[in-house]
Amino acid sequence: MKKTTLLLLCLVLWLGPEAAWPADVGPTYAVVNCKVVPVSGPVLDNGTIVIRDGLIKAVGPTDKVIIPEDAEIIDGQGLTAYPGLLDAHSQVFLEPAREEPASLGRGAPAQPQPAAPQGFTPERQAFKLLKPTKAERAGLHRLGFATVLVVPSKGIFAGQSVLLNLNGDKTEAMVVRQPVALHINFTTERGVYPSSLMGTMAALRQSFLDAQDYARHQTAWQASPRRFKRPEFSPFLEALVPYVVGKRPVIFTCANQEDIKRAIGLAEEFKLNVLLSGANEAWRVVEAVKKARLPLLISLSFKPPLTSLYANQGDELKKKAEDEIYPANPAALYKAGLSFALTSYGLTKADDVLKNAQAAIKAGLPREEALKALTIHPARFLGVEALLGSLEAGKIANIILTSGEIFEEKTQVKKIFVDGQMFTVEKPPPAAAGPAAVSLNGAWQGKITSPMGEVDISLELDQQGSQVTGTATVMGNKRDLSEGTLNGNALAFTIQTEIMGQAMSFAFQGTADKDAIQGSMATPMGSAEVRLTRVPKD
Amino acid sequence: MNRLRCCFILGFFLLAAVLAGAEKMPSLIAIRGARIIPVASADIPSGVILIKDGLIEAVGPEVTIPEGATVIEASGLCAYPGLIDCYSTLGLAEIGQMPQTVDFRELGRINPQLRAWEALRPDSMHIPIARASGITAALVAPSGGLISGQSGLLRLTGWTPREMLIKAPVAMHVDLPSFGRSMGFRPAAAAEPSQHFKELEEAFRQARAYEKQKEFAEKSNQRALPDFNEAAAFLQPVLRGEIPLWMSVHADKDIKEAIQFVQREKVKAILYGVSQGWKCVEEIKKSGLPVVFGSLTNMPAGWEDGYDALYRTPALLAQAGVKIAFSSQSSSAAKDLPFHAAKAAAFGLDKREALRAVTLSAAEILGVADRMGSLEKGKAANIVLTNGDILEFKTQVKKVFIDGRETDLETIYEQLLEKYRKRAPR
Amino acid sequence: MKIRKILFLLAWLGLILAPALARGGDLLIKNGKILTVTRGVLDKGDVLIRNGIIQAVGTDLQAPPGVRTYDAWGKYVIPGIIDSHTHVALSGTNESADTDTAEVDMADVLNAEDLAIFTALSGGVTMVHTMHGSANPIGGQNVVLSLKWGRPSEEMIVPEAFRTLKFALGENPKRANLSDSEGLRYPQSRMGVNAIIRREMLRARTYMEQWARYLAQKQMKNPPKDLLPPRKDLRLDALADLLRGKLVARVHSYRADETLEFLGLAKEFGFKVACFEHIPEAFKITQELKEAGVGTSVFIDSWAYKIEAAEGIALSAAYCTRQGILVSLNSDGNERIRRLFNEAGKTLRYGRLTEEEALRLVTINPAIQLGVDKIVGSLEAGKHGDLAVFNEHPLSAYARCDLTVIEGEVYFDRAAYLQEREEAAKRAKAPKQTGGAR
Repeated sequence: MKKTTLLLLCLVLWLGPEAAWPADVGPTYAVVNCKVVPVSGPVLDNGTIVIRDGLIKAVGPTDKVIIPEDAEIIDGQGLTAYPGLLDAHSQVFLEPAREEPASLGRGAPAQPQPAAPQGFTPERQAFKLLKPTKAERAGLHRLGFATVLVVPSKGIFAGQSVLLNLNGDKTEAMVVRQPVALHINFTTERGVYPSSLMGTMAALRQSFLDAQDYARHQTAWQASPRRFKRPEFSPFLEALVPYVVGKRPVIFTCANQEDIKRAIGLAEEFKLNVLLSGANEAWRVVEAVKKARLPLLISLSFKPPLTSLYANQGDELKKKAEDEIYPANPAALYKAGLSFALTSYGLTKADDVLKNAQAAIKAGLPREEALKALTIHPARFLGVEALLGSLEAGKIANIILTSGEIFEEKTQVKKIFVDGQMFTVEKPPPAAAGPAAVSLNGAWQGKITSPMGEVDISLELDQQGSQVTGTATVMGNKRDLSEGTLNGNALAFTIQTEIMGQAMSFAFQGTADKDAIQGSMATPMGSAEVRLTRVPKD
Repeated sequence: MNRLRCCFILGFFLLAAVLAGAEKMPSLIAIRGARIIPVASADIPSGVILIKDGLIEAVGPEVTIPEGATVIEASGLCAYPGLIDCYSTLGLAEIGQMPQTVDFRELGRINPQLRAWEALRPDSMHIPIARASGITAALVAPSGGLISGQSGLLRLTGWTPREMLIKAPVAMHVDLPSFGRSMGFRPAAAAEPSQHFKELEEAFRQARAYEKQKEFAEKSNQRALPDFNEAAAFLQPVLRGEIPLWMSVHADKDIKEAIQFVQREKVKAILYGVSQGWKCVEEIKKSGLPVVFGSLTNMPAGWEDGYDALYRTPALLAQAGVKIAFSSQSSSAAKDLPFHAAKAAAFGLDKREALRAVTLSAAEILGVADRMGSLEKGKAANIVLTNGDILEFKTQVKKVFIDGRETDLETIYEQLLEKYRKRAPR
Repeated sequence: MKIRKILFLLAWLGLILAPALARGGDLLIKNGKILTVTRGVLDKGDVLIRNGIIQAVGTDLQAPPGVRTYDAWGKYVIPGIIDSHTHVALSGTNESADTDTAEVDMADVLNAEDLAIFTALSGGVTMVHTMHGSANPIGGQNVVLSLKWGRPSEEMIVPEAFRTLKFALGENPKRANLSDSEGLRYPQSRMGVNAIIRREMLRARTYMEQWARYLAQKQMKNPPKDLLPPRKDLRLDALADLLRGKLVARVHSYRADETLEFLGLAKEFGFKVACFEHIPEAFKITQELKEAGVGTSVFIDSWAYKIEAAEGIALSAAYCTRQGILVSLNSDGNERIRRLFNEAGKTLRYGRLTEEEALRLVTINPAIQLGVDKIVGSLEAGKHGDLAVFNEHPLSAYARCDLTVIEGEVYFDRAAYLQEREEAAKRAKAPKQTGGAR
């Protein structure tokens, strides 16, 4: 009798309610009569997807899938289901990290090459900087994105990224994986070492060597703590060791073809586990990229890099490069037999990501490949293929329902599921009509940064409709602005001044919103970055 | 009585000493046997130049040399007119990066009152070096600001600024944005006339209004005399047509606007710089304005202009019939004037035209063609004797005459070298 | 059987070696005035380049069919000009945030798309020593490039060149022209500059000693159990290489006195100085320079821009040459680089060098200074097919470069350039097509 009870008990437990841990019971959905593009398998003309507990319970032809009783039926007639898109290099939800500009101490003799240069913060985590907003999430949903890799942007060692499912307002609930990778930019510090790209390269190498050295010392000390002096704790090197010694992924952002070669060189020299991001010029070094066999996260920004010939030989060529030549980057990589992800990195307007994907397709990238580049490939490169990237039973229920083929211009995303929660996609707010998008009146303060250094700039702006007048003060010289215009958020003006007796014009072009102006200024020494914030009235 | 006689005798000896020590300047000089390049006329394979009281008395293949003339044998040499630099900072800048030694730049936008020649340093080490290149006259001009001030023409010899001055003022200088020295700088593109010309128009309008007020007050006694207005007062010579406006312009849009501006304002003008002149040859030709080029070591505005933009523009304009001249745009590199002309000749400018552009055309543009720029009777005896083509590197300049006086060709180059040549070997 | 095996082996070897041999182009220059620089002048001669190497310089040379022939009738052919000191083809010039940055390497920041490369080619320049700037007493490691416009950056590096390290003395490293608000730093004096150089050399010596001890201990039969290597310091590694003779110093100096002091430092620490850069006062110390066997790389007549250049007489380059010093003329930038042949021409006037002496200043002399004289610097069989063709004698003020060739490939062709420009102008004037490409 006892045995039978035990057996029965086991049977009940086995056949009984499924283990639900944690025990939150979300809604169950069944999307029926839908065209289904699983990515990992053939397209279903009439399919059904069952979503339960945040996962895809089942996906298949409608007549073959059993719909649970508690499922809310979503009619997929006329819609197409795709895996939620994955952006593998996003800057969404990030509050710009406020940095105090470091300066070399006056009268300080040169130091031995610093082991942890000021401003190197590989320990910075994107996760800690997140400030999610509904508007940004809604914007991404509208484009079909369910997952983003949020990457810190500033600095040489920018920090560590976090993979988020855009499932709501709570940061912790969004995390899929944290941290994901260490991100490195080929940029420079300002005013402190390394203040030039050559310095950055040397500093990167020295940092990797120091991380190896640190790990060696730590290991030796931990093995025989009584034999050695305790090695000095270094948060910088602690943060680096898992990536340099532990082979966790390192992602280099490559602005141009030389950066790609630099990243490949460093990967080989230090045997790092490297992915390349950005790389919209990869088509110019395909052979090297192919040989290196590194995963590629290719930016959908088609602006030719500042170093590129395409950017320096006149406006006509620059436009052609942006409209025709660089959009062919993904196609060129595909033809070379490479698989890659496509990202929004470098785009100023989020909406451009699909628009530019369409341009890439027009330039020769097959549609299926473009779709894979936004789903299964980034999932694989980021090590979450088991969880995301395709419509398969057992994977996370990140699904979008669209009104048509995803890369068609008129297609809209109607509904999106993230972690099994359904969001209805809203129409975008009416675009800021005409010139009065923002009011720029008042005082602004900021910096002009160029390879030659940094200079303070302040503006007093007076805006009437699309006309902008006022003054700019640079290095103590106050000058009137000329040719100032504001179209929507696009701001442009010119400063006329004298340098060493020569009259010169400096043209600014950029964007302005309520509190920030940013853009670039053409100077004789090249293009300079300009950033200003509003001076609070007090 | 004795004392008086002593003084008299002493005085006499002093006078004699003074007279003896005074420069023995021969008033009659004949340069004989040189190949003469008068510029204004055909070359003379072998001839004589007769100098009397600082002026050219005669030039020709057969010239009778009067008794008592000092004869300078010059067979095997070439005789050229002294070269004229149409824009320099000679005497106004000694060490470029030391502001204490730089005097051609002021602060402010509207400065017609500034006179470049008033800041001149005749002892500048750069002047003998330029002279030793065969340059006998140079325009010194101010810059900085929109209206920078007045330029003057100097002879490259003299103990004091006044001794050096040939003509002042020569022109009123206006400087519009340039391209700087690095390739690729792009000025702001604007659809309407740029701010600079508006500013100029306003300054001219105010100057005219001021003058009208002043004249009326002076004549009629009915109105009060307006307060002195510096900018307006010093612009009058330009408005009256006495001196030309020297417009330093580079972008082709600025060049075209400058032409329209001077036509509207009915003032005389000279175009300077003209980096993108190759783009608007027709407009420049139609305007009838002369063009002076800046240093040909400046860079083109951008890649699209072509690597040879500045080199080929002189030929393009000269072929279209525009009067052109060259300038060094420098003090320490003033000596390179002839080589700018040669560089233009390497890119299409006729060699004779190139020589004319640093001699007679330069004089014509500066308004002194009656006194210099060629070897002709009645002009100043500014003559350079060389052992070859004056525009060539390998040519040595043997003698330089300015106003009939042979000048000293020793420079700091030779002085320093001699000093260290004497260092005894260790 | 054996023969077949051998043939097979040879064929296989051929396949492996073929890519290595087939670098560079083929070109025959005919009927020009050939100024070889080291082997005299041919009034009417030819230069034959095969696979990027000069096969022959002579008269009545023939090329196999298919080889491009360039008619140089009435023109002058010289070896490609070599610029011994410039800053082109780089993304950045100085790492100015520290006073010793020996660890930085210009090879890390190459920019093959710098428009200045084309500017240089238009002036007949085929090879450059592109360098760290003069912001620091000890700058960085430099690189020699062949200006193969359009090729990837790594193909431009010339591996045969000496490895060089940039030093700077005088006003630039002591930041004489910066104001207090722009951030002063030590050194502010020439004595500070020297103190830093000496200190870094002493640190490097100590570093070398630390590593030597470690390696010695490691080699022992029973090395100590807690033996760990010292920290690998890339900055001190570079200086150690200098002290070991693997790097040579290229020193930016102006005044005669600071130059002599540096020679003293070099002697104190036993490292080699290849060349002083700019050194306008070289004419004051020709004896010492000659004894030290150090060359100079200078401007001909660019002077009086700083106080330390106030005695930089134009006669210096020629005088030093005549005193037996190895002198080269450099551009130090992207403007002068297009007229180095004019700079050489000026030594005919200032100092009366002979034509050959003047040409050497921009060809074989810089080649020797850079350690590449076995492969470039003169037109001789066996050297790289690097040359430039001029419409007039290159030392004439009327000269213009019409063709620039590197390893037998044409990288600048004025005639083709003009034709392209004409065609582009025609296209621009042509009526725009509707419905076509933009």
